[in-house]
Parts: sequence; structure tokens; C-alpha cells
Amino acid sequence: MEVLLLFTAVITLLLLGVPIAIALGLSSITFLLYHSDSSLASVAQTLFEAFEGHYTLLAIPFFILASSYMSTGGVAKRIIRFAIATVGHVRGGLAIAGVFACMLFAALSGSSPATVVAIGTIVISGMLKVGYTKDFAAGVICNAGTLGILIPPSIVMVVYAAATDVSVGRMFLAGVIPGLLAGLMLMIGIYIAARIKNLPAQPWAGFGEIRDAAIDAGWGLFLIVIILGGIYGGVFTPTEAAAVASVYAFLIANFIYRDMGPLKDQPLRRDGENRLFAFIRNWLLFFRYLIPAMFHPDHRQSLLEGGKLTIMLLFIIANALILKHVLTEEQIPQEIASAMLAAGFGSVMFLVIVNLILLIGGQFMEPSGLIVIVAPLVFPIAIQLGIDPIHLGIIMVVNMEIGMITPPVGLNLFVTSGVAKMSVLSVVRAATPWLGILLIFLVMITYIPWLSTFIPNSLMGPEVITIS
Amino acid sequence: MPDAAESRLGYWVNEIEEVGIATLLGLMALVTFANVVARYVFQSNLLWALETTTYLFAWLVLFGISHAVKISANLGVDAVLNYLSPPAQRICALIAVTACLTFTVLLLYGGWEYWSKFAFKLSFLESEDIPFPVWLQSLLGYVEDGEPIYEKIPRFIPYVILPVGMALLLIRYLQAAVRIWRGEQRMLIASHEVEAIEEPK
Repeated sequence: MEVLLLFTAVITLLLLGVPIAIALGLSSITFLLYHSDSSLASVAQTLFEAFEGHYTLLAIPFFILASSYMSTGGVAKRIIRFAIATVGHVRGGLAIAGVFACMLFAALSGSSPATVVAIGTIVISGMLKVGYTKDFAAGVICNAGTLGILIPPSIVMVVYAAATDVSVGRMFLAGVIPGLLAGLMLMIGIYIAARIKNLPAQPWAGFGEIRDAAIDAGWGLFLIVIILGGIYGGVFTPTEAAAVASVYAFLIANFIYRDMGPLKDQPLRRDGENRLFAFIRNWLLFFRYLIPAMFHPDHRQSLLEGGKLTIMLLFIIANALILKHVLTEEQIPQEIASAMLAAGFGSVMFLVIVNLILLIGGQFMEPSGLIVIVAPLVFPIAIQLGIDPIHLGIIMVVNMEIGMITPPVGLNLFVTSGVAKMSVLSVVRAATPWLGILLIFLVMITYIPWLSTFIPNSLMGPEVITIS
Repeated sequence: MPDAAESRLGYWVNEIEEVGIATLLGLMALVTFANVVARYVFQSNLLWALETTTYLFAWLVLFGISHAVKISANLGVDAVLNYLSPPAQRICALIAVTACLTFTVLLLYGGWEYWSKFAFKLSFLESEDIPFPVWLQSLLGYVEDGEPIYEKIPRFIPYVILPVGMALLLIRYLQAAVRIWRGEQRMLIASHEVEAIEEPK
């Protein structure tokens, strides 16, 4: 079967150290040239149409950009302060607060590695100071960071929605219960470990601190209200919501938190300053510095960081779309579907196979690229077997989470090793015990569809399936 | 003084690339945001906003990808490579860079063919919604008998990034090939994906 040859080519190129995007693109182009009469010009057209024709994918750069403003440090610090104030006083409190902070940051950012960097940089060193082992700290954050792609907004969900034409809004809603559940399961696991190991608790800071910290973090957390509220209220399309979120994040980072830009580190209210006076002064400052903030070197840095990440990710996705083009042109999904149905696989067996493919593939591939390739393969089968497409999407996302913390290409492992200054191998060892929790979670998500479909179906009505 | 001249050129090229990437992304966000504002504040619609954003998007990625190669920020699998001896690593890297060059040359050719079709045979094909300002047309010489030729931006303008981006990419891969050949660079991909994703400050 030539298609097998195609996948062998992709994997061989990958192992030789060819960048993922090129490995996907080159294999597909070669296949197309040999196997059909498509011209190189039509391949180039497919590449360009990845951007021109996929309106949904447009949300990705904006989510990345918003997260790039929010990663300037101040937001993470405020979220962590709030998390510690609320749950820090129980046993193992700092670790539980770390998970909570990861969940909150995941609601601002659509990527797992970004979550690990933002929260891990601060929390891991804090945990070491009060007597946690480095392994414990790094393992917890490495796992909790994967929630970045499960709790909306999520870049991987946008990619799934674009690859299968389901609604981004539904996917985001579907991630809410699973995201909370996964966080809760990690917290319970930590609490049990903390009881056994007799880990320290933080002092109870009082309700005043919770309120102050909540108000302080609220400016940043309002972002998720804009995104989810905007999409479900029908105010914005997901792409517009992402763009508005990035503009909001820009304003917050520059003018409220002042982590970047011309007003960096200036307090909102000076000592002993009249409230009204401060209010007026800050509005004047806003109008005075709005344009300069856009052209400030800090802003250029944020845009550049976001831009580089977008370019890398989208070049992979665009090339994965060429491969998808090959697969659909060769009618591979239909062939696999009929083969599987003929073999008498039920939905249970099918989901096990999907999980296995994704778990193995996730160890070698970047999540978004893998979803673009696998989603069109399994989607038609799932529909025929009566599996909810949204449910399938959440299963895929959870698999990608696990792929991110399993070697050799676990992105979170590499990022954690950088943040915690440990070798990748010791991060793998540190993360493994918690991996068990995520695996149990995966089984739950796979066989309890209700967890994923309840919120989207009750808020947006039952899914209407259209097979194209 | 060739070195100084070269590094100065390198500085300016880098500057252009970085500013280009930042500007394209910033414009995308601004145009989309402006459309939302237009809809809710001014009760109107910027018809051209969506199409402009998609073209900026394509430009961002196709223009920026060569910069990503230069800073070696491409994701890949280094699990096997790390266990190889340096000579074997070098051979793998040479094969890998050959694969990349092949890919780029094929797409450069394809991109050129696709673009030239729109530039020469189908130059009358216009984009759907993006207006082409008259002053810009007279500046570019797209005038016939004192009248501008186009109403909307012709398609060959956004599509030009396909061959241009691939040509830039080809230059970067040739440079990488030379560095690998000379033994100055070990791999083509980001060996620690950390730097590729986020540079912790």
C-alpha cells in the first residue's frame, strides 16, 4: 500500500532530523508527483489556501498573541498569589495552588508549554524554598501545565475544529468540565501524597487577602469572560474574540499591570494620592501613551515572540494540510472506515485504537500537526459509529496532553527541564507518577461522553452532524 | 573589512525580518479588532477586513519561515540524533538539509508557476473585497489613459509571497547547508525545544 510508504517516509525523515513541517510536506509532494497528475503549482496553491481558506485557523495567532502579552510575568504572579490565598493553607498547599494557578492561566492561554513557563518559573522555586523536593515540584507543574490545551481557549481545539469543521465554540465549552475534573484529580492526588509525605501547608491568609488577590488577578482573568462570553453571547466569532482578547491583553499589560511598555513599573496610584486625581491622571496617561506603547520596544518583543510561535506552528499545520489533501484525494479515510466496519469493530474498540494511535503518534509529533493528520482519518469512522464529534475532539486533546509529557517529543518535558533546571530524563522520572492520574482521566473521558458533551449540548442544543 | 560589512548587513536583514514579523502580526490583530469596533460602534462593516487579515496571515508565515530557519526554531525529533556519534550526526544533518532544499526548490518552482499564472495570464483577476487606492495605482503605474486599471487589489499581489517566501527560505537552507558542511552547526532543528517555544525571561 503506497500510503504506508508515505507514512514511512514521514517517520524516516523525522528521525533523520528533518523539521516536522518539511517531513510532512516533502513526503506528500513526492507522493502527489508520483501518484497523481497534480502539478507543483497546485501544491503551492494548497499551501497558500491553508491561510486563505481556513478562517478558523486565524484565531490561533491572536490567542498566541494574547498569551504573549499575558506572559510578561505580572499576570502569572497575580494568579499565583490568588491561588495561594485560596488553597495554600491545606496540606501540600503550595503544590495544589500550583495546579490551581495552572488551571487559571490555562484559561488565558491556549498552549501548554506557555502555561508551564509562566507558572512554573515562579511556583517551582517557591516550592523548593518551603521544603518540597525538586522532583515533586517539577512533576506537578509539568502535568498541570498540560491543562493549557484542555481548558479553553485552546490552540489544539481550534486546529481540531478547523480540520473537521465542527464549531470552535462547542469545543471550548466541551473542555470546561474535563478541565476542571483533571485539575481536581491532580489536586486530590497531591493531597494524598502530601498526607503521606507530611508536606508543609501555608499559613491561612484570611478572606481579605483572597478578596484583594482576586481583584488584582481579576483584570487578567476577565480575558476568559471576553472570550467565552463573547463567543456564546453571539457577540463575536471565535476569531474576533481572539483578536479582541489580544487587544485587551495588550491594554492590561501596558496600562493596568504595567509589566511592559512606557509606563513600566509605575504605580497606578502614588502614595497619598487622591482617588479622583489618580483616576483622571491615569486616563490622561492612557491617551498620552497609547500610541507610544504600540511602538515601544517591549511591544515589538511581544509581537515578535508571538509571531515566531505562530510561524512555526502554522508552517507545520499548512504542511499537514498538504498531507491531509493527499489522504482525502486517495480516499484513505473511507478505505480505513470500511475496513474497520467490516472487521466488526464497535465504538469501544475503535476508541481504544484511536487512543493508541494518538498516544504513540503524540510521542513523535507536535500536537497540532498530528491532529490535522489523524482527525480526518478517524472522523468519518466515528460519525458512522455514532460517536459525538465533540466528544472525539476532547478525547484527542486529552491524548495530546499525555503526549506532551511522554518522551521523546514531550514539549512540556523540555520546557519544564528548562524552567526547573533539571535534565530532561529526571523530569521524565518526576512526571511519571502523576502521569498515572492523567491516564485514568483519559479512560474516564473516553468512556463517559457526558463529561464532554453536557455543557455544549445544554447551552447550544444538540450537535447537528453534517457529513461532507 | 568584509566581516564588519557582513555583520552590518546581517544586522539590518535581521532587523527587517523582526520588524516585518511584528508588523504583520500587529496589523492582523488591529484590522480584525477594527472590524469589531466598526460593527458595534459605527454600525457598519469593514468588508475588506477579513480578506486582508487572511492575506496578512499568509504573508506572516511565508515571509517569517525563513527567519525561523535562521534562528533554528523549527520543531523536530532529536531523540535518535542525540545517541549518534558526531560523524553520523553530521551525515544525518546533511541528508536532512538536502531534504529541506528539495522541498524548498519544489515549492519555489510551484509557487513561481502559480504566481506567474496570476501575474501574466490572469492579471485581471482581482481579490474579492480589498480596494486598491487610486494614488497607489498611479504610484505603481497601473494607469491606462489616466484611469486606474483595477478596482480591487489584483490577486498576483498577495500571491507574490509564495515565490518570494520560498526564495528567502532557499537562501536560509543553503546557508544552513554550508554551516553543517563546515561543521559549524550540528542539527537543523531546535535541539532543545524550550528555546523554540518560549524564551523565559
